[in-house]
Amino acid sequence: MASLPKRIIKETERLITDPVPGITAEPHDDNLRYFEVTVEGPVGSPYENGIFQLELYLPDDYPMEAPKVRFLTKIYHPNIDRLGRICLDVLKTNWSPALQIRTVLLSIQALLASPNPNDPLANDVAEDWIKDEEAAKQTAKKWSKLYATPKQ
Amino acid sequence: MGNVPTKLDDGSYQGDSRTNTSVSSSSNSNTSAASSGNRSRHASLVNAILNSGSGGAMGSPGHSRNVGPYARKSTREREEIKERHAKNLVVKYDENVDGGFMAPFGCYSFDKLDYDSGIVRGLIVNRKLAPFYTPLQDFDDSWSRMEIIKIVDGLPLHASFNENPEEFEDVPIGNLRKPNFDYLIDKSLPKKEKRRLHSKIFQARLYRKRMLWQEKANETFLEHKIEARKNTSKNKYLPSDDLKYELYKNGSECPICFLYVPGPLNLSKCCQQPICTECFVQIRRADPHFPHEEVDPTQPVTDDSEKDPNLLISEAANCPYCATPDFSITYQPPEGRRTGLGGEPPYKFTSQSQSAVENSEKHGVLTKESPLVEGDDLKPAKSVHVIMSDTIRPNWEVRLNKERMRLARRSANATAIHVSNRLIDPDYNNDGSGNGDSSPVGTNTSNRDRSDVTIEELENQMLNEAIRLSLEDKKHSSSRQRK
Ligand SMILES: [Zn+2]
Ligand SMILES: [Zn+2]
Repeated sequence: MASLPKRIIKETERLITDPVPGITAEPHDDNLRYFEVTVEGPVGSPYENGIFQLELYLPDDYPMEAPKVRFLTKIYHPNIDRLGRICLDVLKTNWSPALQIRTVLLSIQALLASPNPNDPLANDVAEDWIKDEEAAKQTAKKWSKLYATPKQ
Repeated sequence: MGNVPTKLDDGSYQGDSRTNTSVSSSSNSNTSAASSGNRSRHASLVNAILNSGSGGAMGSPGHSRNVGPYARKSTREREEIKERHAKNLVVKYDENVDGGFMAPFGCYSFDKLDYDSGIVRGLIVNRKLAPFYTPLQDFDDSWSRMEIIKIVDGLPLHASFNENPEEFEDVPIGNLRKPNFDYLIDKSLPKKEKRRLHSKIFQARLYRKRMLWQEKANETFLEHKIEARKNTSKNKYLPSDDLKYELYKNGSECPICFLYVPGPLNLSKCCQQPICTECFVQIRRADPHFPHEEVDPTQPVTDDSEKDPNLLISEAANCPYCATPDFSITYQPPEGRRTGLGGEPPYKFTSQSQSAVENSEKHGVLTKESPLVEGDDLKPAKSVHVIMSDTIRPNWEVRLNKERMRLARRSANATAIHVSNRLIDPDYNNDGSGNGDSSPVGTNTSNRDRSDVTIEELENQMLNEAIRLSLEDKKHSSSRQRK
């Protein structure tokens, strides 16, 4: 395999020396392009108190191509589907090579705080969300408690 | 919006649009420049390179055969263009401009270097775009002059290659010296498979060739460096110590690749953020795709294959820093450091020299009165040029239209298959929904035995049915739009 680009090395170092509050990202020992990520549910959202596990992979063309990110923890959210795939502009059409792992993870945290049911990935969840937002938020809260509560 | 892990368009590299991933035809005239670089080390090199750049900058004035961007090129022609482009991507120490080079160091993979190399070389020689510099992984402000010079002396021309990329692992390349490699392909294979293999082998060979060309350039560089150290006779293409120091003491980190490069860097026109040339040539338009609309979750999603190919779009690249559309950069060349092609010989550069431009006029070995691109006057260094992302990939519109044509062809084919299936099997696609459409085509033939239908008739029927279906389709989509 080709050597790791300086950019990835520096980003990894900075993630460790200067971590983002509420977010952790650690590279895998045997593949430095693969990160294990945790994101805390934003305060005031139905995901509050939940700790969500994600995987993040930097493709060969990173940073010209966006990182690939997926939720591993089950989550009830109109922009995240059953497989954990995320519908987020910065991961697709609005990706810019000036963005970083750090900024992507912050955007994902922000997506948890403000779901967008009009641009859904999980159609059924989005439908619920539009029909009865309160009920949908209750379900999201329930799921968070069920699946995203750290085991003691 | 689709899911995260897949790319928007998966078909753009298949079929006829494959040619689009290669260089545009405008680099056609570069061969002589690239290959003569090894042999002749005179001012003619400047001419050759400038001319090679001019071909691109002028949008490739008529080539004898196959004129026009949509003209179908033969495999041979396409391969020649790709090979010339690959030659343009070789970093050569004697092709330098203000301490940088004409080809990228190698931070990004070979298949992503699909910009128009003729245009970029022209822009660099004309000081409208920063040259490609050899980057440093890190820089320490405490380094002394001697330390910096020592580090620069040890820099390679190009990043190391991945010797055995996965994609070419089991691809035979044969004898690279022989241009013909048909003997590597089993003649009994079907035509399509043979073509696929041919293309794969060509790519593998080109990858290997480019690696060898670069290695050759590296060796020459090394030999000449050693010679220059031993002899008193200077090599005029190698930088003086003053130049090495001048270059790297005032560099900065590019915010995209995080590498340390000499300045001045290109600046985004909109927000004045720096970007190195190696990163700039990576910023490109989106591949042709259908526009992403916010959808109503209660409505079924339209499949891409049902969409009108004319709706395909390809947005210009945005500024990576502030997202302003139509990304473009400006570049202000260094005033006291005009060396190499179109400047003073790099070995003569001294920090004391008040103005390198003046120097080049006095001792100019590499004359800057080189033939310029017609109609493209070399403006004084002070005027600022704006280079758009599209400037270095001018074939985007051709690509987009070819992709539209490809999709249109594909849907026409699909219609034809659909129709012929109906003709052969009257029950095909008859889901019993009872609307008139599901009856077999051509009721006028229904009283006749189907096997009697001649090929010609069959084709006529298919054509008529295809037209009818497409008209119906149009009605559908326009009524949908009106809603
Ligand atoms: Zn860069
Ligand atoms: Zn900008």
